[in-house]
Amino acid sequence: MGVVKKVPYYLEKFPGGGMVATSLECVLKNAQAASVWYLLFGTACCAIELMCTGASRFDFDRLGMIFRPTPRQADLIIAAGTITKKMAPRLRRLYDQMAEPRYVIAMGGCTVKGGPFYYDSYAVEKGIDHIVPVDVYIPGCPPRPESLLEGCLTLQKKIKSQKLPDWHEK
Amino acid sequence: MQGLRTEEFQVNMGPHHPSTHGVCRMVLTMDGERVLKIEPVIGYLHRAIEKVCENRTYVQCLPLMDRFEYVTSMATNQVFSMAAEKLGGVEVPERAEYLRVIMVELNRIASHLLFYGVTAMDIGAYTPFLYGLRERELIIDLFEETCGQRLTYNYIRIGGVSKDILPGFEQRCRKALDTIEAKLVEYEGLLNENPIWLARTKGIGILPAETAIAYGASGPVLRASGVDYDVRRDDPYSIYHKLDWKVPTQKSGDCFDRYMQRLDEIRVSIKIIRQALDGLPEGEFKAKVSPKFKPAPGECYNRIESARGEMGCHLISNGGPKPLRVKLRGSSYNNLQVLPAFGANCMIADLVAIFATLDVILPEVDR
Amino acid sequence: MTKEELVAYIGSHFEGKLTPVETGKFDPWFEIKPDDLLEVMQKLHDDNSLKFDFLCNLSGVDTGEHFEVAYSLASIGLKHRMDVKLSLPYEGAEVESVQKIWAGANWHEREAWELYGINFKNHGNLTRFLLPDEWDQGHPMRKDWDGPDFVRLPEV
Repeated sequence: MGVVKKVPYYLEKFPGGGMVATSLECVLKNAQAASVWYLLFGTACCAIELMCTGASRFDFDRLGMIFRPTPRQADLIIAAGTITKKMAPRLRRLYDQMAEPRYVIAMGGCTVKGGPFYYDSYAVEKGIDHIVPVDVYIPGCPPRPESLLEGCLTLQKKIKSQKLPDWHEK
Repeated sequence: MQGLRTEEFQVNMGPHHPSTHGVCRMVLTMDGERVLKIEPVIGYLHRAIEKVCENRTYVQCLPLMDRFEYVTSMATNQVFSMAAEKLGGVEVPERAEYLRVIMVELNRIASHLLFYGVTAMDIGAYTPFLYGLRERELIIDLFEETCGQRLTYNYIRIGGVSKDILPGFEQRCRKALDTIEAKLVEYEGLLNENPIWLARTKGIGILPAETAIAYGASGPVLRASGVDYDVRRDDPYSIYHKLDWKVPTQKSGDCFDRYMQRLDEIRVSIKIIRQALDGLPEGEFKAKVSPKFKPAPGECYNRIESARGEMGCHLISNGGPKPLRVKLRGSSYNNLQVLPAFGANCMIADLVAIFATLDVILPEVDR
Repeated sequence: MTKEELVAYIGSHFEGKLTPVETGKFDPWFEIKPDDLLEVMQKLHDDNSLKFDFLCNLSGVDTGEHFEVAYSLASIGLKHRMDVKLSLPYEGAEVESVQKIWAGANWHEREAWELYGINFKNHGNLTRFLLPDEWDQGHPMRKDWDGPDFVRLPEV
């Protein structure tokens, strides 16, 4: 992205160049939001709802999202299911293996704050936001497929409203 | 290739892997492509459900039971409720028993449809996944109109069921069953004579009957190896002894037989549900049980046949409002334990097929 | 065999090593001493009229005063069921492993060791199982265990 980084700086020197730079950014961001590939990561009950959302009735493919089995080819981790203390380092490792820009959706009550295991489970991580930075939280136990689709649309809105990193520096 | 030095090496399969159903890690000792030794490492989903249950009242424990085995959560609710009813001496009304049987058998069909889709996807065929889950949605619609939830129902309570079925449920249920029965013929036509499917599953992963019994494997895994044992018939509970149905078995215990066994069980379940719908009596759907349910001191081990095998609940009460000990015996616990005994000496691609047909759900193993 | 026949058969063939516990209308429960365990279990497995070849469940229990280990047995061929339990003191809780009789007891015993601390002799593999690898807070299922994550909910 080295040469591309310098493009808006030089574009702005021309008359009307700033408008081209922002429209390019808009096109790039829309393209990015329209094809977010997610990692197949499901631990517990929410994984079944994730599979149902990817199947015939509520289709993920119409949003441009397909599942990838390896984190190297994925943009998004939908952390579906309880994360226990034994599994937490593995989740962090998977997150580190993803290439930027990368996003995390916390699906289900267990990933938001521990869910039904909040008070008295000695082996559950109460919420994943102290392991990986989370972009969208989806409550529910398990959340309906419509909720999950709404969460993904929220993520798309968030992607479209972000600026490309380093795009406006020299 | 003479004189080429080879050595064994260890490969980690999991805990995050597209084919392990959940978070199961297996440490494989391999010689090239051949797996010599399998050692499952579990505990990645240990949520301490048993300790949490000791901290809650009996009625508060029921939603946690759903999370123990979420694909057939009607059955997990039933095993705990039956154990608590035995200890507390609660009589369940007849209509509630019939409703319980209808719901549990519908859940069994849904679980086997999910198995069909996910197993085929593991072995490489993507289309059955979409077909199986499409029919499963018909059953999930029926559950949603009855109890409001799609996956973790909390429907079968201590003393009966939580809500009565809506008017018109019977017609919708029969229509769904007719659709599923017609589609089963399509599913079998898609895979049963497919040469790739037969090459991947016939003769692979043969489980001898004695090994299965010694390790405590149960359910379709045991019946596919030729052992004729079903808790619904041999240790009868609820109203199964009043209905007319037969237990299917297969002969050789390879992957193909385990797959065919579950499709046969879908047919048996459809038959049971039709008979239960015909004989559904009028009456109460729940006995009166107070929220501070306090059974007499005692212990019992209650077992039922869930979609994956024998599920048990060893419940000990000391007369107080909270249980003293709840030990949940999941069928996948023993089904996974038998894997190293018969799954070694195969190629790694066959290991994926064997693991898929065992139909292991990890929270039953880890709790 | 029916429940009464089973209780009568066991009463006459086991020289008082299995004492029945009153349970009402559940399956028969028996009590046993830890020293007689292997011998009695082998006989329950091999005897031609009993043939308990299926171990359904093996659970560790902490009653607040002592440990208990409960075995639930079933017979595939003869289709009857019974349960056996034994008591162990808190200090030095040790009992023989039954995995030579039923291979499926291996994981159940390993879990009971990890969560309660009951030692199973001749098991061979009592290592970390369900808890995280770096767990250092003791045996969590004991009644007197307290950890930083455990909040005892109030009594009703």
